[in-house]
Amino acid sequence: MDQPIFSLTDVDYSYPGNIPALRNVSLSIAKGQRVAIIGANGTGKSTLLTMLDALIFPSSGTISGLGKTLTEKTMADAAVQRAFRSSVGFVFQNPDIQLFCPTVKEDILFGPLQLGVAKEEIMRRFDSIVERMRLSPLLERSPHQLSIGEKKKAAIASMLIIEPQVLLLDEPTAGLDPQTTRDIIAVIVDAHKAGKTVVMATHDLHLVEEIADVVHVFGDARSIIRGGTPEEILSDNEFLKQHNLVHVHVHRHLHTVHAHPH
Amino acid sequence: MGVIDRTFLGVVSLLKETVSNDEIASRKGFLQGGDPRLKCLSIALMLLSVVLARNIIEVCGIYAITLLLALTSAIGFGYFLKRTLLFIPLFSLFIVIPAIFSVVTPGTPVVSLDGVWRGLSITRQGIDSSMIFFMRVLASVSLAILLMLTTRHHVLLKVLRIFKVPQLFVMTMGMTYRYIYLLLDIVQKTFIAVKSRVGSISSTKTGRGIVTANMAGLWLKSYRMQNQVYDAMLSRGYTGEPRVLVEFHARPMDFIMFATALMALIGTLWINRFFL
Repeated sequence: MDQPIFSLTDVDYSYPGNIPALRNVSLSIAKGQRVAIIGANGTGKSTLLTMLDALIFPSSGTISGLGKTLTEKTMADAAVQRAFRSSVGFVFQNPDIQLFCPTVKEDILFGPLQLGVAKEEIMRRFDSIVERMRLSPLLERSPHQLSIGEKKKAAIASMLIIEPQVLLLDEPTAGLDPQTTRDIIAVIVDAHKAGKTVVMATHDLHLVEEIADVVHVFGDARSIIRGGTPEEILSDNEFLKQHNLVHVHVHRHLHTVHAHPH
Repeated sequence: MGVIDRTFLGVVSLLKETVSNDEIASRKGFLQGGDPRLKCLSIALMLLSVVLARNIIEVCGIYAITLLLALTSAIGFGYFLKRTLLFIPLFSLFIVIPAIFSVVTPGTPVVSLDGVWRGLSITRQGIDSSMIFFMRVLASVSLAILLMLTTRHHVLLKVLRIFKVPQLFVMTMGMTYRYIYLLLDIVQKTFIAVKSRVGSISSTKTGRGIVTANMAGLWLKSYRMQNQVYDAMLSRGYTGEPRVLVEFHARPMDFIMFATALMALIGTLWINRFFL
């Protein structure tokens, strides 16, 4: 296995009020790997991604990323923080959180400007990403005027323009129409082809095989209960049903009643 | 419709009207196409001229230029007058009306009101000062509204940077504006959800209770959102001093407008110095 780009050992994390969010999580993510994090609602997927982005830190246990132990102290160093933020991009589950500027254009430009990228380089990346994601008609619009699909695209563009090595995506396709879902998956697949490491939390199991080499399943105890290849995990219907990841869908084809996991 | 419903719909309508300013600011008009920095400076100079002018003809001249600018900027004449004249009488009349009487502004009587109050009259000086005051308010408000209507909110915020307003302050204002809509959306959906469950809110007391509970919920949501937005900013490299890209391009017409505004100010000062 390649050198891990992220490594978590026995990580616990609780939100204020001692609300448990992660319990005894150990995980290793190799450079260039595609990882899907699946699990029912409230099992810790988003918390894990937030921790991988060094926005929160373990209550106990250790996390290292890009060759450094991630703690509040190490991230307080301006040079470390800049290097980390230039290398790891995070798309939040709620795009309204991520799009905080008055216009889509300013939101896309926000990251590289803060990271001190040269203006000419920023504009080169900007033009490329706007064309790639067909965002031209949205640039001067305020995020509150966008549909959910447009917001997600803008949020992804605002992360991709940083050109990070690692893409952390929290349910990027949740609630989207099929075409927008395909557009976003195409962008993620292209990013991986370009050598990026992709870690994605999702409920869309039908996308997992396409976007992941490895799957980690979170359980109700807010810990990883199983890991494996997409084939291994997705073929175990009993396991998926038991952990609230699929349900049995019953419907009719002409005169035949048909049931299958969904 | 109860008082809560009416208040709620009134707030929504007011905010929607603010959004519609963006629509006007996006039209292809004279002021919309220019460099916002020079536009703001030109309007600031015109405002200064209005304040310093001592002659009503000067103020009327500047107001006429304002109307001309509104017309060339794809703003409906009726709409513009409605936006400006609606509030001006309300605020200025309270000041203007007492000022026309001799008790406030002594001078040459034009109309004697001895029958109402002994020695009371409407004076020429009172009418003159009231007229110039009214016209100053009208011209100033019209210029301010013209600027607001023809400049998109985020551009106006960027322009504040040339007046050396700290970037952090400008960004906070921008984010406030941005999230007002999100929170308004939450309020609107909550309101509809409440109505769908309880039907019409029959008593003001019940309504107040629902609104109070929702205010607390909204406060908690906005508090949580504030933390999440800060995380999203940190995630993209924010370290406390935001950096922005300023990319304005001036046209020859912008310089002409600026020169005209400057000349209007110099002319006002010259008239004040030598003729009044």
